[in-house]
Amino acid sequence: MPGRVIEWKLMEEMTMPTFSTAEWNGMRLHVLPTRQFKTFSIAMYIGIPLKEETVTRAALIPHVLRRGNERYPETKQFRERLDDLYGAGFGFDIVKRGNYQIIILRMDVVNDAFVSGESESLLDAALQFLSDTVTRPVLEQGAFRASYVTSEKETLRKRIEAIVNNKIQYAAERCIAEMCRDEPYRLLALGRVDDVEDIDPAGLYAVYEDMLQCASIDLYIVGDTTPEAVQALLDGKFGLSGRASAVPYVPVREERRNVEEREVVERMDVKQGKLNLGLRANVTYADDDYPAALIYNGILGGFPHSKLFIHVRERASLAYYASSRFDGHKGLLMIQTGIEIANKEKAESIIRKQLEDIRNGVVSDDELSKTKAMIINSLRENDDSAFDQIGYHFNSVLSGKERSKQELIEAIQATGLGSVVDIARNVELDTVYFLRDKGGAS
Amino acid sequence: MKQLRYDHVQETLYYEQLDNGLELYVLPKPGFSKTYATFTTHYGSIDNHFQIEGEEPVQVPDGIAHFLEHKMFEEPDGDVFEKFSAKGASANAFTSFDRTTYLFSATDHIEDNLTTLLNFVQHPHFTEASVDKEKGIIGQEINMYQDNPDWRLYYGLLDALFQRHPVRIDIAGTIESISRITPETLYKCHEAFYHPSNMMVFVVGGVDPQRISELVKANQDAKVYNRQGEIRRFYEQEPEPVTEQRKVTKLPVALPKCLIGFKEIDGTPPGAAALHKEAASRIMLDILFSPSSESYQSLYDEGLITDNFGLEYNLYPDIAYSAIGGDTKDPDLLVERLKSFIARYVEHGVSEEAFQRSKRKKIGGLLRMMNSPETIGNEYTKFKFRGMDWFELLPAYESLTLDDVNRRIREHFDMKRMSVSIVTSS
Repeated sequence: MPGRVIEWKLMEEMTMPTFSTAEWNGMRLHVLPTRQFKTFSIAMYIGIPLKEETVTRAALIPHVLRRGNERYPETKQFRERLDDLYGAGFGFDIVKRGNYQIIILRMDVVNDAFVSGESESLLDAALQFLSDTVTRPVLEQGAFRASYVTSEKETLRKRIEAIVNNKIQYAAERCIAEMCRDEPYRLLALGRVDDVEDIDPAGLYAVYEDMLQCASIDLYIVGDTTPEAVQALLDGKFGLSGRASAVPYVPVREERRNVEEREVVERMDVKQGKLNLGLRANVTYADDDYPAALIYNGILGGFPHSKLFIHVRERASLAYYASSRFDGHKGLLMIQTGIEIANKEKAESIIRKQLEDIRNGVVSDDELSKTKAMIINSLRENDDSAFDQIGYHFNSVLSGKERSKQELIEAIQATGLGSVVDIARNVELDTVYFLRDKGGAS
Repeated sequence: MKQLRYDHVQETLYYEQLDNGLELYVLPKPGFSKTYATFTTHYGSIDNHFQIEGEEPVQVPDGIAHFLEHKMFEEPDGDVFEKFSAKGASANAFTSFDRTTYLFSATDHIEDNLTTLLNFVQHPHFTEASVDKEKGIIGQEINMYQDNPDWRLYYGLLDALFQRHPVRIDIAGTIESISRITPETLYKCHEAFYHPSNMMVFVVGGVDPQRISELVKANQDAKVYNRQGEIRRFYEQEPEPVTEQRKVTKLPVALPKCLIGFKEIDGTPPGAAALHKEAASRIMLDILFSPSSESYQSLYDEGLITDNFGLEYNLYPDIAYSAIGGDTKDPDLLVERLKSFIARYVEHGVSEEAFQRSKRKKIGGLLRMMNSPETIGNEYTKFKFRGMDWFELLPAYESLTLDDVNRRIREHFDMKRMSVSIVTSS
């Protein structure tokens, strides 16, 4: 493990700063040397299959990890250490992508060059901190510290329950859950409230040990450094025993389903109705027609020039927001809008008309070229954020499809309306979800 | 252009004021693909009562600054978003208490996009029909926020704290107040507040300051502006007592929400004094209530707060306020606990160790913010309109002493100027 020779592999074109990737210590290590930022950014992606049996415990794990590590066992010490590292950022996310549940741990710390008189290397200190947090959690009798587990169970339960507070997010999650009711994807990345109570420190630690053995792990470092320097800094850190190799993600091909349209109405004490439509795009990130699907989503509802914004908001004055989002790892296309409850039928028929219009090729050259320009711009803007660059790179790791930003941009430029219409004809409406008030007729 | 060098953060800001009064700032960011440009007027939701020198005072409907922001995107030849989209630019706008910002970010056609930005913001075009149509859209925006518990919690606090000052008014107004907006009132506000002498442009990204300067100057020289008299803004004098000490809003929530806040009603002269107060106040709140504080950890262990616990301090020339809180199972108990922590800090002050740690954290936090062109543009503009230089915040942190922070604690936390806002289902 320490001192092992690392073979670096360069991705993407040579003119731009690029990630060097190597297998190291049973994980994939990706380093992007750049002077663009005043910080070093570090991210660790730990991915396991999204499953009912483990989803809640996996979601609880980063909550417990952020309470302390062997070196800084009390939470206050742990956070004071971060403050001492010039307010280093430390955070985590739990997401679902395709058929995986992924824990993302992130740190960012200022580059030593900007703080005078600093004697320790802040990148080294941050890597040590993350390594300790992942590999040396606070244990009692071979299990996670019980008081941390107890209090973080409460936090997780509150987080899951609080989703209902944000009606836009709640409606989006409910629409996915209804649409994917027979698939693991129905699960929230945070897990299920009912599972929380029965979790015990020993069982949780067992899941964690298993996770460290079997999960797919990627470690990213972006900043003014080199792969060789990172290699030297990592010596003696992240000692995960028993991992033979970096575990690749297995892209799961979505079987085409027999989609039968379904409507779900939910009632709650709300002023505004939320109308969400869930569609199956039947195309995912690894497919060659992924660029066409991005354009389809852009024409439909990705931007302020898109059909949904123009027709639902600007022309009909029905909504403040009306947009669509394409989830390329799962192949779902989600439409969302917030409307007057009485206007549901009107809004729905305008939305259906837009879907129909694209199927029939009713898309102007102008709409097509604007959409392409906007997608290409957002891809280029992605270069200006370290964590966004990491996120883009991770798409290729997860899907097994290497497609540089430049390649994607060229593919978008080359895509004609015909390919977009082909996408449209394969898009199937699955679920219409409406969150409405408690009064009135149903 | 003048160069303002900030060696401590390795940034150089280019600045000039044009003949018509417009202030232009350019911050080159070598290595960045994106350019972020903002065009901001020093005009927000609180400016609902004003007088232009030599004219009669005017009172306009609540929410009009925000309404105007929406309507600016409509031009006789179509929607401005379409023009930006055609050049691959992502455009937007937002209205706050004291300013309205129009913006785009783009990686290409920067000069075309900047021209579009300058032109649409300076070209009002309102009709009866388009104003009426917007009332439906903004009505839905207002309803969306009415369903949002965090928004209701925050405005509940401002409403409870301030009796007279217009920060108590919702930025979007109400369905009733916006119903009174007409094309004439919109033109009136545009004329008053969108004069170049009340506005600034900030461009940050991979740009050449000289070229940007030439473009903006040529664009402005081609437009005719008469010298405008001074704008008087009438903000009602805020009295010492709060509106109410405890305000409860009923809304379906998983867990109740609770914010406490303190108001300050003594004005702070713009410049170094304001920056010093801003820095000391932020450090004060950080030491008292950030996640690494003693109070946070003890409240968390007690199950009284969750990850959704935050704090902020806002300083305006005539008022200031803090807001501290989040989700809690027991709002009244949380308030009691927060008050007793505050009482202890007022009496004993904070330690040198906690002070030094917070300083490092704030300095690192500022440096991290400087990675983001959006943050730089927005923060610089916000500070500028409040009479402060954002790039000087870092040295302001460095020059603070423990005494400054302890004095700030004693000044700010006066229980007579405190209110509580609660959102709960029952």
